[in-house]
Amino acid sequence: MSRSLSFPLLASIVALIALGCGDDSGGPGPDVPGRCAAFDELRQPFFGDTHVHTVLSLDANLQGTRPGPSEAYAFARGQPIGVQPYEDGNPLRTATPDPDRPIDFVMLSDHAEYLGTIAACNDPTSPAYDRPVPGGTSCADYRDESQVDQVFVLLNGLTASSPEGVEYPALCGSDLGGDCIEAGKDVWTQVQEAAEAVYDRSDSCKFTSFVGYEWSAGPGAVNLHRNVMFRNDIVPDLPISYFDEPYVEDLWAGLREQCIDTDTGCDALAIPHNSNLANGTFFEKLMKDERPFDIDYALLRNELEPVIEIFQHKGASECFPGQAISDELCGFEILPYSSLAAVNLQAFSDPDPSDFVRGALGEGMKLELELGVNPFQHGIISSTDTHISTPGYDDEKTFLGHGGAGQPNRDSLPEGFPDIQYLNPGGPAGVWAEENSRNAIFEAFRRRETFGTSGPRIVPRVFGGWDLPSDLCDSPDLARIGYEQGVPMGGELSDAPVGGTPKFVVSAKRDPMGAPLQRIQIVKGWLDGGDYQVEVYDVAGNPDNGASVDLATCEPQGNGAADLCAVWEDTAFEPTQHAYYYVRVIENPTCRWSVRQCVDANYDCDNPTTQFDFDCCDPTVGLNVAFCDSVAAGLTGDEAACCRTDDPTSSTKVTFCDAVAQTLPAADGQCCLPRLETAIQERAWTSPIWYRPPS
Amino acid sequence: MLRALIHFFLIGALLFAAKVIFAGDDGDRPEITVRIPPDATEAEVDREIEDQILLNQARHYRWYLGDPVIFTHLVRNMRFIEPDSTDDDLTLFKRALEMNMQEHDPVVRARLLYRAREALTYVPKDRMPTREDLEEHRTAHRDRFEREGKVRFEHVFLSGTKRGEALASDAVAMRAQLEALGDAAPTELGDPLPALRAVQSSTISQVKAAYGAELAGVVDEGVVGSWRGPVPSVYGVHFVRVLEKEPSSVPALTIIEAEVRADLLSEIEEELSKERMEVLRDAYVVHVERTP
Repeated sequence: MSRSLSFPLLASIVALIALGCGDDSGGPGPDVPGRCAAFDELRQPFFGDTHVHTVLSLDANLQGTRPGPSEAYAFARGQPIGVQPYEDGNPLRTATPDPDRPIDFVMLSDHAEYLGTIAACNDPTSPAYDRPVPGGTSCADYRDESQVDQVFVLLNGLTASSPEGVEYPALCGSDLGGDCIEAGKDVWTQVQEAAEAVYDRSDSCKFTSFVGYEWSAGPGAVNLHRNVMFRNDIVPDLPISYFDEPYVEDLWAGLREQCIDTDTGCDALAIPHNSNLANGTFFEKLMKDERPFDIDYALLRNELEPVIEIFQHKGASECFPGQAISDELCGFEILPYSSLAAVNLQAFSDPDPSDFVRGALGEGMKLELELGVNPFQHGIISSTDTHISTPGYDDEKTFLGHGGAGQPNRDSLPEGFPDIQYLNPGGPAGVWAEENSRNAIFEAFRRRETFGTSGPRIVPRVFGGWDLPSDLCDSPDLARIGYEQGVPMGGELSDAPVGGTPKFVVSAKRDPMGAPLQRIQIVKGWLDGGDYQVEVYDVAGNPDNGASVDLATCEPQGNGAADLCAVWEDTAFEPTQHAYYYVRVIENPTCRWSVRQCVDANYDCDNPTTQFDFDCCDPTVGLNVAFCDSVAAGLTGDEAACCRTDDPTSSTKVTFCDAVAQTLPAADGQCCLPRLETAIQERAWTSPIWYRPPS
Repeated sequence: MLRALIHFFLIGALLFAAKVIFAGDDGDRPEITVRIPPDATEAEVDREIEDQILLNQARHYRWYLGDPVIFTHLVRNMRFIEPDSTDDDLTLFKRALEMNMQEHDPVVRARLLYRAREALTYVPKDRMPTREDLEEHRTAHRDRFEREGKVRFEHVFLSGTKRGEALASDAVAMRAQLEALGDAAPTELGDPLPALRAVQSSTISQVKAAYGAELAGVVDEGVVGSWRGPVPSVYGVHFVRVLEKEPSSVPALTIIEAEVRADLLSEIEEELSKERMEVLRDAYVVHVERTP
């Protein structure tokens, strides 16, 4: 197995020559509003993925991921790609995007820390290529297949160093990582060129790409990562990595200095994710010098981090079950781990409740009372965090595993699930924007008119205002009235009229390929004096609609709604209290991906041997494929005929399978783990609307 | 960057000159013997042959002489072998060459191979696509750059969830109402649905993704100016009137130049690499020995 880059460094050099020496074409012109034929001033929903890793990320690279940016974009635009494991250079699995579920925008977010390291270690012209690193990890170690696991821990583990001690890998040279930084320049150019080559600048506006990267701070193996997203093709010379700036406020300062404040048209924001894996540190209210937040810090965080990923491969970060506020839906896709390291080591440990977004929204309002600025005023998105170069690949039915913190599947087809059973396929980032262009989508992020889902293309919408008509759900002009008389998701309400109460018009439509909707909820959080309170209201649909799913077949049972709409008034509103309101749209129950794979494999937890029977006679099912293939390949004569018979009740076959079932890999036992969710209720979350009382 | 570019120019030129240099009779052609395991696949055999040829080329032109990485590496080897030597680097390097170290060292081999393979894909200035080339490529491969046609249509929706059992009768009434409108716009008719507009411009694929195949088919087949419906979807029923159809098209080069350039450069690199490798293979007499 090779771990070299999938496309040569030379491509960027060639393209650079082309850019520098080519004739003057005049270019496509500026990305001005109204460029797209489908421009809609009342905005339209677009789905994307702003968290995608390719071969350029060290962890993905070491896990056998080979597709690079171009292939990742090809996948996003509808082309199947091969994914690991590889045999004789050929991929053994194929990821196939659903042609009826297109994705509108993508940002590749390869880890900034190792963009140059991988390039240097694959480029014999780099001094790092052959540099000995006594007692440390060298490029030769990186290229040594037999050391891949060790290198993964030692190199990738550098991002778990404390901020005071973090530094570039020794293989990069003594000049503050100079050789890797140098090598990284070409890679960063490749990232930009790949994005430019697929950005649809015609008026069709079919696909939008963003240049970006991931700043991967993990001190003590907790997750403090941020994805950095650029508005357009004007970007700094190099990404800022954890090795360059180990404190998040210095990342923000760097983005201001190198981009936002340069007056070049460069603009950027940072997207936090996986607060659930930070061991209680993600929303700590301390700056790098251990002092409490000051106004400057709060302003910077508010400005540069308008949205947060609430859901992705590594679980949900909305709310933690069992808190003071009863919310039975908080148990959805909660990881049984408290940090990144715990995921890697599969060391069960409950997450810290303070790491969840709902708590941070309350803490943010408290800080606003002190500082006048809310540093945790986060809008909401989801993404996949795929490490196999498959943007938007979030369907529970076709999940191949995402690698990264999950299962690598580098060397062989998975026996059992293709990923750690507690992880999930992730979901899309949603925006309401005028058109599918970089400017319009970036602006949507900036004003927090965003939402996330756990996978389905549910489309939620909400407007809040003081005078919204109570019959707004009957009006086809809902959106126009909503904007004219209120604010959308991500907005702020203020100037409450005397005696007035806020009204919210909430609506949602189901994914046409997903399950019907069960209900819409509004989650309200407010400050009562110094106390943070939360209440969850069912405002549309029916939580007792009786819908369920047959876990033996994954067939849905009962009815739900195709669309829901309601105007809800907060009759408990108190104009002196800070508050927020976000919308949660809940689907009817469906099978989780892990249950689907067990059902496809005919796995019966009450009688495991029957699974082997079917599985080995049809080794195309999802579980234990390699094992069953190997068993089937070893069968001859009557045994083979028996195993291939269409009659699953054949006594000979059952006897044979009963005997061989003793060797069934433990992987299938995962189907019956009591801790795994079985039926799930997929969902969408909108950004909150905040209410700010007069100061 | 500049250093690398100079190398690529030189390497590209040298490789390309192979045909001229080895263009004589078979007797003049260099011979190589490639030893491979008995169970090697055809692809593995090809790969090994190519590696041997490229290495031979690189050594023939003594690329190792001007290579800073090989220089450093061989000097380091020599200092390991002769820890007490007081000779300078150049002397040690020369001694390494006298010992033929460059022939057997795996790092030297890897570096030479890497440079040779990079050289194969190098695009010289005279092969860089011109604007005319890009335009030709755009025209010749319209399917790669084509944008789907768009339809602008009026859209009225009745929600199944909201209207329940009355949906069918409401649909009949709505159809009559729409017919009575004549050419007038259906202002304020129907139910809201997130993202649904009274007038929208979409591709058929977008309509299909949003509302399903049936409505997409009706919009696709719709005659301009006529109301169609009720058309069922998972959401309820829809009425559509096509206002304008815009056929599929390929955007002008000025708009999609980066996309066309990337596609063409990728083709050129592949083509050049193949061409150059073929030239080199023709220039050699290759013997394959399958040895355990």
